[in-house]
Amino acid sequence: MTSIWEVIDRAETGAYMEEVEFDLKVVAKRCRELVKEYEIRYDPKQIVTSDDSLADDVFEAGLRLALDSGVYCVDTKRLIKFDEYEIKEGIMSAPKRLLIGEGKDSRVLYARRVEDERPPIICGGQAGAAIPEEWYLPMAISYMKEPLIDMINNGGLAMVEGRKVRTKTPLEIQATRRELSMLREAARRAGRPGISLLAAESSVSALGDLAIASEAYMRRSDSHLVALLNELKTDYDRISKVVNFYEYGAHNVTLVDPIIGGYAGGPEGVAICFVASFILGRAMYGSDYHVCHPIHFRYMSTSAPECMWNLSVVGQAMARNAQFIIMGDVWTSAGAGSEMVFYETAANTITNVVTGTHPLGVSATNGKYPHASGLETRFMAEIGLAASRDKISRKQANSIVVELAKKYADRQGKPDIGKPFPELYDTAKAIPNPEWKATYEKMKKEISDLTGLKL
Amino acid sequence: MLDELANAVYNGDDSKAAEASRKALEAGIDPLVAINEGLMKGMSRVGEDFSQLKIYLPEVMMASEAMKVALGILEPEALRRGSSLTRRGRVVIATITGDIHDIGKNIVAMLLRANGFEVHDLGRDVPIDEMVRKAEEINADFICASTLLSTSMPYMEDLIALLKEKGIREKYIVMVGGGPVTREWAKSIGADGYGDDGDEAVRVAKELLQRRGTP
Repeated sequence: MTSIWEVIDRAETGAYMEEVEFDLKVVAKRCRELVKEYEIRYDPKQIVTSDDSLADDVFEAGLRLALDSGVYCVDTKRLIKFDEYEIKEGIMSAPKRLLIGEGKDSRVLYARRVEDERPPIICGGQAGAAIPEEWYLPMAISYMKEPLIDMINNGGLAMVEGRKVRTKTPLEIQATRRELSMLREAARRAGRPGISLLAAESSVSALGDLAIASEAYMRRSDSHLVALLNELKTDYDRISKVVNFYEYGAHNVTLVDPIIGGYAGGPEGVAICFVASFILGRAMYGSDYHVCHPIHFRYMSTSAPECMWNLSVVGQAMARNAQFIIMGDVWTSAGAGSEMVFYETAANTITNVVTGTHPLGVSATNGKYPHASGLETRFMAEIGLAASRDKISRKQANSIVVELAKKYADRQGKPDIGKPFPELYDTAKAIPNPEWKATYEKMKKEISDLTGLKL
Repeated sequence: MLDELANAVYNGDDSKAAEASRKALEAGIDPLVAINEGLMKGMSRVGEDFSQLKIYLPEVMMASEAMKVALGILEPEALRRGSSLTRRGRVVIATITGDIHDIGKNIVAMLLRANGFEVHDLGRDVPIDEMVRKAEEINADFICASTLLSTSMPYMEDLIALLKEKGIREKYIVMVGGGPVTREWAKSIGADGYGDDGDEAVRVAKELLQRRGTP
């Protein structure tokens, strides 16, 4: 593997390029050329595609993009490039199985296959959200106490010590420590002290991460996200996060979130960009696993049809050709408390589980409002486990997902954002209130009838 | 001739945009007509097609560049003839302090340009005093701040506080947006406008400018 020190050398000595040139003449141009050369087409009627050759073409095109583009370091304006040997070494050495968490709460996180019958690992929490400090603990408990949830990825803190947290200020340190402290406390209170955490979401710059590399906060069996910036870029903050964990030893996880409509182009170019990003994330950050998060340029949600097509194609491209461990995000436009959130969650989760990724969510309202709880994530788990247990094929999944998407696609611009956590749960007992529970029961039955899944 | 200008902009072709601009002037077309009926029509099509994902950000950027080249030829001539240019407003836009995510901001900047606004894009991780300084320097109508990070949202509040502290809050229309930013929050900090997406940002900007009565 290319060492992180070598990566830093290349960030300092690689070819100089203006950023706009990289965006337009490297990323945009190559994505467009590769889409054309491999004749990759988005088909809204085939959100969950069964076309193996499409998946293989996307992988091959992504591999070529990774070799051609490298990664752009925005701080130095230089290209960090990798040769074919280094790229392939990264792919071949990527972990296929990882032990995450501790003791009885530990789990084996593994590289899923296409139409995998094994139960997926369920990662729960409202990732990406800014959660008020006063609700953070009960909200985290609401996820931890769900027995079907295997690991946690919850949001960060917008306030700490009664003060608003501003990026790259001393409070970022305290917010990240408080986040980890509360997650650990929530795990103990839920009787799952060893549950694995994908955390430090309050660490927007490297400051927070530097402050939690300690067994008192983030254990070595836990993980943190290191993003690849849009598109195919990094900076010294991201590289510092990797360096900080180099000796510490917790898991690096590449967060990849290309924008549909952005520099990589439409859904087809974004799929290629995803593959390149995962490959480069592994080569550059030495990431043990990865998060797949297509962003819709208008709705953000991963449940938008173009995004689910991306999850499906990219999941299969990687599962068939590289076997990386990949979590597929489940970000809904609607919030907890609504009925719409169930349709989005079901469609997104089935897509992920059948095509090679583990579901991570539910980040209701795209993390915009703290309108989320453990209950809709219980539903995500039930759907994910049923889809694998019932051996849903890609063809069956596609029929189901296309029908489910019809239930919400025209409402993604004006979704029902639901209610905040304290209006959905008895926060002292961390149990859903009767009204929210009744909505869950109603929608679970409706979606079970609609999909044929035994929930 | 006007179609040629519109198409050159739509296709993001710098050299054709320059050539069509020169030809339009040689043919005696009023430069203001060439701008409004040629260039702006091309950019308007760009905005519409981007909203429907028929084209993507790189195409919008290239169209914007072609428009800039053409304006460089047509505008001086229009001014020489004493025409008053019908720009919709002057905008300072940036991704605010602490945040390096700029694609959302770039999209809004491009769509504003496509709708005739004069946009000064300061980039990302821009300190609030730099935004204010630029707004003062160019006599802007708008200060627009974007972020994808909830922990950079307080800097938007700081921006409005700084404008008040300097006694110049009323001079500017302040708009905010970005992933975690909500309509309610924008209102709570005293911003004038908010866009849930690029299309809404443009619509709101037009409405706010009309309400203010300029230009």
